[in-house]
Amino acid sequence: MRIGDAKQSYEADEAIWTTSTQKLWFGFFLLVLLVFPFMADSYLLYLGCLVGIAVISTTGLNILTGFTGLISLGQAGFMGVGAYTVAWLSVNTGLPFPVTLVLAGLMAAAVGILVGLPSLRVKGLYLAIATLAASVFLHFIFAEWESVTGGMGGLSLEPAHLFGWSFQSDFMMYFIIVPLAVLMVLAAANVFRTRIGRAFIAIRDRDISAEILGIDLLRYKLMSFALSSFYAGVAGGLFAYFYRVVTPESFPLSMSIFYLAAVIVGGMGNLLGGILGAAFMTLVPEALKLLTAALTPFYPNAPVFMSPMLEIIFGALIVGFLIFEPHGLAEMWHRIRRFFRLWPFKN
Amino acid sequence: MFRNILNKGRRLAGLGSLVAALTVATPAMAQDKEPIVFGGSIPLSGVFAFAGIHIHAGLTDYTDWINSEGGINGHPVKYVMEDTAYEVDRSVAAFKKISGSESPATYYGDSTGFMKAIASELNSQGDTLMSGASFATALTDNEQYPYQFIPGPNYSQMFGIILEYIADQGKDGDMPTVAFVYSDTEFGKDPIENGKARAAELGIEVVEDIVTKPGSVDVSAEVLKLRRVRPDFVVFHGYVLSPINEFMVQMRQMGLDTQFMGTFWSSDKLIIDKMGADADGYMGVMPYNYYDSEESGPMLDALRAQAEKSDPEADYRPTGYMQAWFNAMVWTEVIKRTLDADKELTGDNMAEALASIKDWDTGGIIGIPVTVRDMSFPVGRIWRVNAEKGRYEPVSDWIHLD
Repeated sequence: MRIGDAKQSYEADEAIWTTSTQKLWFGFFLLVLLVFPFMADSYLLYLGCLVGIAVISTTGLNILTGFTGLISLGQAGFMGVGAYTVAWLSVNTGLPFPVTLVLAGLMAAAVGILVGLPSLRVKGLYLAIATLAASVFLHFIFAEWESVTGGMGGLSLEPAHLFGWSFQSDFMMYFIIVPLAVLMVLAAANVFRTRIGRAFIAIRDRDISAEILGIDLLRYKLMSFALSSFYAGVAGGLFAYFYRVVTPESFPLSMSIFYLAAVIVGGMGNLLGGILGAAFMTLVPEALKLLTAALTPFYPNAPVFMSPMLEIIFGALIVGFLIFEPHGLAEMWHRIRRFFRLWPFKN
Repeated sequence: MFRNILNKGRRLAGLGSLVAALTVATPAMAQDKEPIVFGGSIPLSGVFAFAGIHIHAGLTDYTDWINSEGGINGHPVKYVMEDTAYEVDRSVAAFKKISGSESPATYYGDSTGFMKAIASELNSQGDTLMSGASFATALTDNEQYPYQFIPGPNYSQMFGIILEYIADQGKDGDMPTVAFVYSDTEFGKDPIENGKARAAELGIEVVEDIVTKPGSVDVSAEVLKLRRVRPDFVVFHGYVLSPINEFMVQMRQMGLDTQFMGTFWSSDKLIIDKMGADADGYMGVMPYNYYDSEESGPMLDALRAQAEKSDPEADYRPTGYMQAWFNAMVWTEVIKRTLDADKELTGDNMAEALASIKDWDTGGIIGIPVTVRDMSFPVGRIWRVNAEKGRYEPVSDWIHLD
């Protein structure tokens, strides 16, 4: 039995895994991720890939909103930039996917820096509207710059390829998406062990104090926007390879709200929260369908009546989280961990 | 007395046993053959739910009807669906789930976005034929979408039918003018370029084209633009109701005698229900007979009888219901032709069977025999709202594009 953690150095305090048990569980988790595609059917594989893409994008938004305190409603737009970059490069240059994905991230990061420029002057709701405007503007470009984006009809692209391998099936795509998601979450975790990450957090907690401490606000805010958009761009690029068609309607405003909701439901400013939030928002609507499936044998018309109900239940679940657990799913997870850690002394 | 009751009881029990045995045996006989599965990603919730629930009803009723007729070549039909909320990712999830567990021969897709997104999967699987709510022109590209078809004319062909009707209204070489009003969506912009090209061929001048948000209500600025050019016809596309009603009411208040027309999803009875007398004279292109039209035919009568049976209280079935029924009819015909040719139900074989449909009598669902061209049925008719009777009435013959 282990009660509490006594950390005796800064390194120990900043370590990603503080105990060997954590390392063991993480290893087990990686093993599950590795075995999963061999056990799952195409439906579960598809959901696994969707969650992977959502985790990357949510982690990006969490860096910006959760850790730097800058709200954004432009995540779908940045994903669109990434997706169109990948699609255009794939159609016109035939570059392999690692190159196109990195370029997608960089292109989205460049756009993110531009969109982030007003963040020095405005924050909160004002910044939300500024990023919303950027999202609308990007949508306009996707729809109207026909020679590059294919207009409203969008672009279709070939499967991702590397060294003669074609990543056409969900099974193959899983081995791109999920390892990338793990790597990018770990990279984000490492960012917060550096002065850059600490600067983000200082800006979130009190930007004026951060500035007095010598943190260059514009530089770090733009850096946060760039990093967040890079994640969105990579997620968008994966989205493009996954569906192999990109249209302006692939990235509606509701998608930005989806990711913001995932950050809030999961737990703002907590990387685990981003993962749990992304999984929750993606999987719960699917899981709720099981209710309908259970009722259908007894009541054949159940889908007609239950489907709108499921939307309401899903909405109520989100509202319920906001009211009863404003720190999100991550806090629930931590509470469960604390319970086992402190048991039997306190429960 | 007791013996009498006992004897009657025995006779009743015997009769009951016979009925029970037959009840059990009949489905068992019908199930000798493997069921054929119709799959569907159906938007029972979300923004397209107004049509989705009727699409679901149409597919359910058709399945019940075809099973009551003995199925397809003795194979019972099973309809399996999932709600998608009209979201592409959930629609794809539904497809994966259903295709993984049920191997559907045919599948109803709820949107162009979904049908494009699933195309690569569909092509690589090669065992399902798909059609659905979309009439997108792009889906008639056989190279890219070999296993998808349009259950009617595509949107460009609908514009073609509308423009032929408009051209027919020209008198003494004086061709009417037209304006296109469409939504700022893939759906809305789909037929505009082809529509303009076709108008130019027919000598019809497109005097204005206006793009709006779907569902927008403040269209006064756009109405003023139309007032300036005074088109004889305005063709709406990419809307369900708003802003069609706004345009019509405001333009009529300005004293313009413009006639208003719309494509399939803009030609539902919903317009009459919501606009009342203001809807009078609105015209729509429709590939199927309306449920409450005076037309008849064996299949149309069967549809009405089945609809009456499944929900006796509903006295009308919207266009989504008719569309879903027609989808399932085409699936049945394709499967039947494939099985009759002693071939497996693969995507290639079913696409080939679909392409072989020529002068097919739809039993009154469509008023003339139809022929498949480029994975679509390029046929339709112009209908006009009679607000007093609360229904659409035909104002043109059936127009089959060559």
